[in-house]
Amino acid sequence: MRQDGSMQMAAPQKETADQNFDYMFKLLIIGNSSVGKTSFLFRYADDSFTSAFVSTVGIDFKVKTVYKNDKRIKLQIWDTAGQERYRTITTAYYRGAMGFILMYDITNEESFGAVQDWSTQIKTYSWDNAQVILAGNKCDMEEERVVSVESGRLLAEQLGFEFFETSAKDNINVKQTFERLVDIICDKMSESLETDPAVTTGTQGNARLTDNPPPLQQPNCAC
Amino acid sequence: MAADNDPESEVFEITDFTTASEWERFVSRVEEVLNDWKLIGSNVGKPPEKGEYTTGTWEEKSREINFADFKFSITHHYLKQECAESEGKEDGEEDAFPLAMQDLLCMNNDFPPRAHCLVRWYGVREFVVISPGANCEAIISESKCNLLLSSVSIALGNTGCQVPLFVQIQQKWRKMYAGECQGPGVRTDFEMVHLRKVPSQYNHLSGLLDIFKAKIGCPLTPLPPINIAIRFTYILQDWQQYSWPQQPPDFDALLAGEVGGVEFGKLPFGACEDPISELHLATTWPHLTEGIVVDNDVYSDLDPLQAPHWSVRVRKADNPQCLLGDFLMEFLKLCSRKETTDEILGKSSAEEEGKENSDITQALSKLTEPTAVPIPKLSVSNMVHSARKRIRRHRRNDQSPLNNDVLNSILLYLFPDAALDKSDSNEAKAPQSNPGGKSDQDKETEDYNLFSVLKSAPWDCLTYRLALCVCLVNFYHGGMRAVAHLWQEFVLEMRYRWENNYLIYGLPAGPPDLRCCLLHQKLQMLNCCIEHKKARDNVQKDAASENGLPVPQVSPGKSWDSWSDSEDEFFECLSDAEDMKEVPADGVKGAGAKIKAEGRLQPHGKLTLLNSNEPLYIPVTQEPAPMTEDVLEEQSEVLAKLGTSAEGAHLRARMQSACLLSDMESFKAANPGCSLEDFVRWYSPRDYVEEEVSDEAGGTVVQGSLSARMKIPGNMWVEAWESAKATPVRRQRRLFDDTKEAERVLHYLAVQKPSDLTRHLLPCIVHAAILKVKEEEAVEDIASVRKIIPQVSSHASKLLRHPSPDLKKLEDTINQITMLEATIARARSLRAKFGLGKGERGEDTENLELFVSSLLEEPEVAVIGAGRGPAGSIIHKLFVSAQRAALLAPLEEEAGRVGGSDDRKPAGGGVPDFPPPAGREILLRTCVPRPAPYSKALPQRLFCVLMREDFRLAGAFSSDTSFF
Repeated sequence: MRQDGSMQMAAPQKETADQNFDYMFKLLIIGNSSVGKTSFLFRYADDSFTSAFVSTVGIDFKVKTVYKNDKRIKLQIWDTAGQERYRTITTAYYRGAMGFILMYDITNEESFGAVQDWSTQIKTYSWDNAQVILAGNKCDMEEERVVSVESGRLLAEQLGFEFFETSAKDNINVKQTFERLVDIICDKMSESLETDPAVTTGTQGNARLTDNPPPLQQPNCAC
Repeated sequence: MAADNDPESEVFEITDFTTASEWERFVSRVEEVLNDWKLIGSNVGKPPEKGEYTTGTWEEKSREINFADFKFSITHHYLKQECAESEGKEDGEEDAFPLAMQDLLCMNNDFPPRAHCLVRWYGVREFVVISPGANCEAIISESKCNLLLSSVSIALGNTGCQVPLFVQIQQKWRKMYAGECQGPGVRTDFEMVHLRKVPSQYNHLSGLLDIFKAKIGCPLTPLPPINIAIRFTYILQDWQQYSWPQQPPDFDALLAGEVGGVEFGKLPFGACEDPISELHLATTWPHLTEGIVVDNDVYSDLDPLQAPHWSVRVRKADNPQCLLGDFLMEFLKLCSRKETTDEILGKSSAEEEGKENSDITQALSKLTEPTAVPIPKLSVSNMVHSARKRIRRHRRNDQSPLNNDVLNSILLYLFPDAALDKSDSNEAKAPQSNPGGKSDQDKETEDYNLFSVLKSAPWDCLTYRLALCVCLVNFYHGGMRAVAHLWQEFVLEMRYRWENNYLIYGLPAGPPDLRCCLLHQKLQMLNCCIEHKKARDNVQKDAASENGLPVPQVSPGKSWDSWSDSEDEFFECLSDAEDMKEVPADGVKGAGAKIKAEGRLQPHGKLTLLNSNEPLYIPVTQEPAPMTEDVLEEQSEVLAKLGTSAEGAHLRARMQSACLLSDMESFKAANPGCSLEDFVRWYSPRDYVEEEVSDEAGGTVVQGSLSARMKIPGNMWVEAWESAKATPVRRQRRLFDDTKEAERVLHYLAVQKPSDLTRHLLPCIVHAAILKVKEEEAVEDIASVRKIIPQVSSHASKLLRHPSPDLKKLEDTINQITMLEATIARARSLRAKFGLGKGERGEDTENLELFVSSLLEEPEVAVIGAGRGPAGSIIHKLFVSAQRAALLAPLEEEAGRVGGSDDRKPAGGGVPDFPPPAGREILLRTCVPRPAPYSKALPQRLFCVLMREDFRLAGAFSSDTSFF
C-alpha cells in the first residue's frame, strides 16, 4: 500500500488544529470546466446548493469527517479548476490523492468525451493504487441529457471505475458517491496489507486492519 | 481420566488410584492428550508411496504437560496423507498390525533427504514424542528413564493408542529416544545405542548383522532372510582445478586504463568466495540380502562406483561475501552518519585567504602530474576543471580524500558532455529518451517504469549515475570523506553550470517529475532555471543587437549577482527602450485608440473579437512555475491552513490568481479592445453561453453572454479582469523567478550532508541493484530468482515511497538482494564445477543443466546412471582429483585412512578414488516370530549409523505379547 506518504495520509498533523480523527483521506474531484464539481462538493460538505458558484481558480478544498467502524475518517476533498490552462497546476496535486471523483456533465457531450483523457491523467500522475469513481452529474436535467446512463456505465466499466449518476442540485447519489469511494479505499488498504505481510508491521501513517470487514484500525500514532 | 470414559475397564479400581500420585497424574495427562488428538484405536492405511516422505507435508502439533513441576512437551508428528482413511477402512482387519509396525518394513522411503531423525531411523509416518521442556534439564538417570517409559507403556495400554510414543532421554544433542508401540497382542520396543566411537567389531556389515541376529534371538533355522539397505556418504570439500573464479574487481586497473569513467556505471556482482562449500555424494545399495555382499574387517564389496543408486546434495556456504550486497550495505550504513560535509572536509573557505604558498606548490606539482583526462582543448571539460580548481586550491593534494585521477574519471562519467563539443553540450539530452534495442517491449517498459515504482530516477540519468558513483566511491575510494568530497565537487559543478548557462546533461527535460526522488526533482528544477535564464539572456542579446545598443556584458559567473538584487524582474528582459518609443504608456490613450498588439501567439481558430472584426489571438503566456514535491507540499499546506470558510476560500483563490492575472494581461495586450467575454471564450469556453434569440425581423440571431457564475458581482474573474493591464508577457513580472529558485536549489544541495545524499540516492541504488540482479539472472536463467525479484521490488517500493524510509526495513530488502546474488553465484559455481557454460553443447548438456539447477533447489538430487552417468563421471573425477591432491601431497598423512576401512579399492597410483565415507548407514530388516518360535512373525528393524565420531544403533524389535 502506498498511502504512507506523509503529506496526504499522515496521521494527524501537529500543526493542524483539528486532530479529531483516526485517518485522513485526501480526495480529488476532477473533470471539465463547469460540470458541477464545486456544487457537488458543497452539497456533500455543507449540504447547500447554489445555482452558480464562482469558477474555481486553481484549487480549493473542503473537509468532512465520516465515521466507519467507529473510526473517524477526515476527508480532505480538493476541488480543482477544470479549465485546460489549469492542468499543470492541478495535476501536481494528483500524487497525494488516495481517491478521485472524475466528473462529467450528462448534458454536455464534450465533458463526457474528455473522461478518457482525465483518466489517462490520473494514471500518469497519481499513485498507482488510487481509486476512482466516475460521476455523471446534473442528472436532474433529464430533458437536456445527451449522455445516456448506459454509455456512462459502459465507459466506467472499460476504465475499471465505479459509476454513479448524480445531482448536486437534487441531492442524488452525492453522499453515496463519497461513501463508496471511502469504502473502496478502505478495502484496497486492507487488501494490500493482507497480501503483503511485510507492511503490516506498519510504516508510519499506515493503517492496520482488524478482522471484521471492511477492516479499519488506528494508524500508529493517532493521538 | 481417559479410562473413566471407558465403560469396559474396571472403573472402580482405577478411580481409586487416579490422582493418587504425581506419576499417575502424569500418565493420565498423557492419555488425555492422546485422546484429544484422537490417536486412539487402530487406523489402517496403505504403505506410503515411494518418496512420499519427501514430497508430502509433515505436520506437528505440540502441548505442554507437567510431571509434578517438571515441564515436558508432547509433540505429534505426522505425514499428511490424503484420503488414507476412506480407502483403508474397508479392508481393516481385526488384528492388523499398527501402521508403525508395517512402516518398519516398508522400503519406499529409506534414507529420506529431509525428515525427522526418528523417521529416518524407524521409517514411521506418525509418532508422538515426549521431550523435556525448553529450559528443563535432560532425563539422564536410568530410573527416571524407566519411569517415563513405564508411563508411556501404561498410557498406550490404557488408551489403546497404536501410534508409537517416544521419550527423549539423555542430553538433547545426543538425540536419544526410547519408545514403544502397542497393537492388539503385539508390541514394538524402540531402543537405541549411542557411542562416540565405532567399536571395531561393529565397523562393518557382518558385525552389525551379528548384533541384529543376536538381538532378535530367533529360534528358527534357517533364519528368514534379512533385508539390507546401505548408504555411504562421501564429502567433497576440495574442488581443485575448479577453484572459484571470481576475484574482487581491480578498480585501480580500471582507472589506469583508457576506459575513463565508463566502469563507474556498473555495479559489481558475485560472491568473493566459493558459495558452494561441500558436495555430499550418497551411494546407496537399496536392496541387498545377506550373502550377496561381503563387508567385513578385511574385505568389502561395497565400491561406491558400483553402487546402483547415487544421489547428491550440496552444502552452501553460510554467508558468502557478495560484492553487490556489500556495496549496498556500506551505502546504507552511510545513511545513518551524522557528520556534515564541513566537519568531514574542514571548512575550506576559512583557509582560503593567505595561502598563496600552497597555491604555488600546487601549481608546480601540477606540471609534473600526469593528467588523467587526456582530452585537451575541450571547453566544457576545462570548465569542469576550472570549477574544481577553486576548491582544490584549499586542500593540499595529499589531503584530498578522493584521488585526482579517480575524481576526474568520475566527473567525466557524470558529465560526458564535457568531452563533447561545446555546441552539443548545450543540448541537454536525456539519454533514456531513446533506450537501446527494444527487443522485448513489455520487459523494457517494465524495467523502464521501475523508477516510478521505486521513486528513484530513470535509468542512466544523471541522478542514477551519481548514485552509482557515490556507492562506488564510498566502497573503494575513501568512504564517507570521499563521498563528501565528490558531493562538494558535484555541487560546485551545478553552480558553475547555472552561472554559465550550461544545461545539466543527462536529465529528462521538463518540470520536476514528481515520480522521482526529491534530489532528482531538485536537479530538474535547476535545469528549468538554467533554461529560463538562457532564454532570458538570449532575448536580451538579440534585442540589444537589433537595437544596435551595447549589450551590458554579463560576465559568466556573475550573472546571478546582477539579477538577484533587483526586485522587479520581468519575464523576458527585453530592453524597454524600444517599447517606450513606439508605444506610449498604457492607459495614456483612450480605449478607442489604436494600441499596438503585443505578444500574440496565434489566432484562436476563426474567432473574432465581440466588439470588432479583429481576430481573437491567443497570447504568449507564462507557464506556471514548476515545483518540486517539497515546495508543492509546503504550498498545499499553506492553502489548507486557510481553512474551509468562505473567506479562506476567497483568499485561497486570490493567492492562486497570479497565473490568471498574467494570462489576462497577456490577452489584453494581444487583443487590444477586447472584453472579458472574449477572454472567457478562449479560456473557459463553457462560461460563454450562446442562445438563439429571435430578433425583431423574425429571424434567429445568436446571442452570447457570460454564464451566470461569471456574472456574479465582484467575483474573482471580474475582479482580476478589471485590475489587469494590457501587458505582454515579456514585460510582466515573472511568475517563475529562476534566479531565486536556482539559488534555493543550490543552497539545498550545498547543505546536504553525505548521509542526506545517500538517503536521497538510496532508491536509485536499489533500482540499480534490482536491474543488476535481473541482468545476471537472465544469463543464468534461474526460476526461483526470477520469481522473487518482483517481490523484492514491490517490497522496496512500499518502503521507498515513504518520505523517510525505514532504514532497518531497507536492510531487509538489501539482504534479500544479497540472497538473490548468492543464489546466482551458487548457480555459477556449480555450473563451472560441472563444466557447463563453456560453449560446447553435447547430448548430455541438457540433462546436466537440469541436474545442476535441481541441485540448487532440491535438498537431494538423484544422479541418473549413478557412477556411470554423465554427471556421475564428473563427480567421480572431482573426487579423484581431490584425492590425488590430498594424498600425493608431500606431507602424506595416514590420517586419511584411519576413519574408514572401506576405501580398499585402490585406483591407479595406490590412491583410492574416494575418501573414506564420512558416514555409513546400514539398515537391516526382517520379519521373524518373537519371542517364541510359535509366536507371530513380526517386523524387526535395526538402523545403524557409523560416522567418525558417532555410532548409533536404533532398533525396533517387535514381539508377540499374547502369551507372555
